[in-house]
Amino acid sequence: MRRKSFADRIRTCAVWSLLMFLVLPALVAIPVSLTPKRFLSFPSSELSLRHFETLINSSQWISSFFQSATIAGATALLSTIFGTLCAVGLWRVSSKMGETVRAFLLLPLIIPQIISAMAFYHLWIPLGILDSYPGLILAHTILATPMVLITVSASLANFDPKLEQASRNLGASTMTTLWMVILPSIKPGVWAGALFAFILSWDEIVVTLFISRFSVYTLPRRMWNGIRENTDPTVASAAVVLIVLTALAFVSYELIIRKRQRSA
Amino acid sequence: MTLPDTGDLSIKNVTKTFGSTTAVDHVNLEVQRGEFLTLLGPSGSGKTTLLMMIAGFEDASSGDIALDGASILNVPAEKRNFGMVFQGYALFPHMTVRRNISYPLDVRKRPKSEIESRVEEMLALVQLEGFGDRLPKQLSGGQQQRVALARALCFAPPVLLLDEPLGALDKKLRIEVQAQLKAIHDRVGTTFLYVTHDQEEALSMSDRIVIMRDGKIEQVGTPNELYEKPRTVFAADFLGKSNFLERSEATYALRPEKIDVAPSGDLQCAVSVTGKIQTISYFGAVQKLMVMLDDGKCLEVDVDIWRNRNAFSVGQVVDLGWTDDAVTKLEG
Repeated sequence: MRRKSFADRIRTCAVWSLLMFLVLPALVAIPVSLTPKRFLSFPSSELSLRHFETLINSSQWISSFFQSATIAGATALLSTIFGTLCAVGLWRVSSKMGETVRAFLLLPLIIPQIISAMAFYHLWIPLGILDSYPGLILAHTILATPMVLITVSASLANFDPKLEQASRNLGASTMTTLWMVILPSIKPGVWAGALFAFILSWDEIVVTLFISRFSVYTLPRRMWNGIRENTDPTVASAAVVLIVLTALAFVSYELIIRKRQRSA
Repeated sequence: MTLPDTGDLSIKNVTKTFGSTTAVDHVNLEVQRGEFLTLLGPSGSGKTTLLMMIAGFEDASSGDIALDGASILNVPAEKRNFGMVFQGYALFPHMTVRRNISYPLDVRKRPKSEIESRVEEMLALVQLEGFGDRLPKQLSGGQQQRVALARALCFAPPVLLLDEPLGALDKKLRIEVQAQLKAIHDRVGTTFLYVTHDQEEALSMSDRIVIMRDGKIEQVGTPNELYEKPRTVFAADFLGKSNFLERSEATYALRPEKIDVAPSGDLQCAVSVTGKIQTISYFGAVQKLMVMLDDGKCLEVDVDIWRNRNAFSVGQVVDLGWTDDAVTKLEG
């Protein structure tokens, strides 16, 4: 093996520093969550799990956790259905008109969230869904559907259109073809889209701040308030729980994908 | 083989335009039940577009397509009941061979017992017994082709459409599969409508061949009729090889194997000319001589190697001759 030159070492160092730069800020929550003090700070002498205890025993935090999970779950489900149907429809039409529609559908991703937030706020008042589950789920679904459209469209790009023709030729209706032939072939894109949609809703704060008030109180909103108003280290322990859960979700997703690739 | 009671396909004055280009141009064709009919033509001749219109994946711009006398233009592809073998087979990759073959019966909600026995029957027809539980990717190209055929025939369609189904196979396998395909056609008696650009496939399997060119039908006939009596330069040139002779303002086709050739002075024939061998290409069973005539024109001549061992060499002067019935007068 070639001996590592000085330049190689510099390069390795640079790559690792960059990776650390990307990851470390998020990990700062870990030591902070272990502080024994009553305010946001680094632990100096001893470590304590008291803020995790507060977190688990706080009905407010637990309620926010389940509210966020409900909203993110519903958002993932709805935007996956809409996004997948859109993607398949646009794929089948595949015309200039279709491409215009696609660009249009991607707008929620491009428009700054603060502007979407204002739009939702003004629209949700007359609709009477401000500060409600339907209101939040609808808003998050509108934001997340383009994500699903993108991942499913990417899967469809590799899908052989002859399979669709074959299915119809053999007597299957459009719905049967979608269910039996197209969906099984684009499953990875659909799952990726659902995961992205879930994560988008799970940590969405800008729109949520505008359109929720008292009755719906999502986890990001509680953390936001926790930092802004009382610098409570429980926020840090909540962040650690979220990091761990997200990491677990991604690792299991990767494992499933790899297993499937090996068996394929 | 008894004649099936369905499968007459008539194509009446069908035209298909894409923007300003005309892919299929006023085509009229009667496909008879039980027939093996091949649409033969170079790419861009409109043969695949015509097949896609019959399958229902493309709409005809004008004209009518009818099955057993009833128009099918308004019948969607999934209700036409035509089997189709696609180029590249289009097998469902996530389904086993058995599930692929049973798919058309599953979507028709036939009883389970009927489906099972029918699938076994089909596996036997294409000689793939014991392969039912494999996935398509675990099969060779030839086996995949047979699964596609079984799947398309499983629901006993009145017409089977085949779009260059042997294109992905190597030459030796292709010849084997041609024979199998012909045998299966004879057994099931379904109308086969076969699209290819390969003249050998067309000649070896078809009851009739339709030569297509620029969206129009150039000539229709049995393989023998088309080979022996081509009507146009295009037909003579596309199906087999041909020399073209200009005599008294008409063009004649002369197949290379119908020319007799002998060393100078040896030949007694109705028509004979003298020429000099330019090149000799070796093909094992035959060799092709390019002979330049005194007027500067070249003729291609096929010579049986075994019966003319060491008879010819490059630069040699030879006599060429042919009988009157060897040449075909062409139109235009």
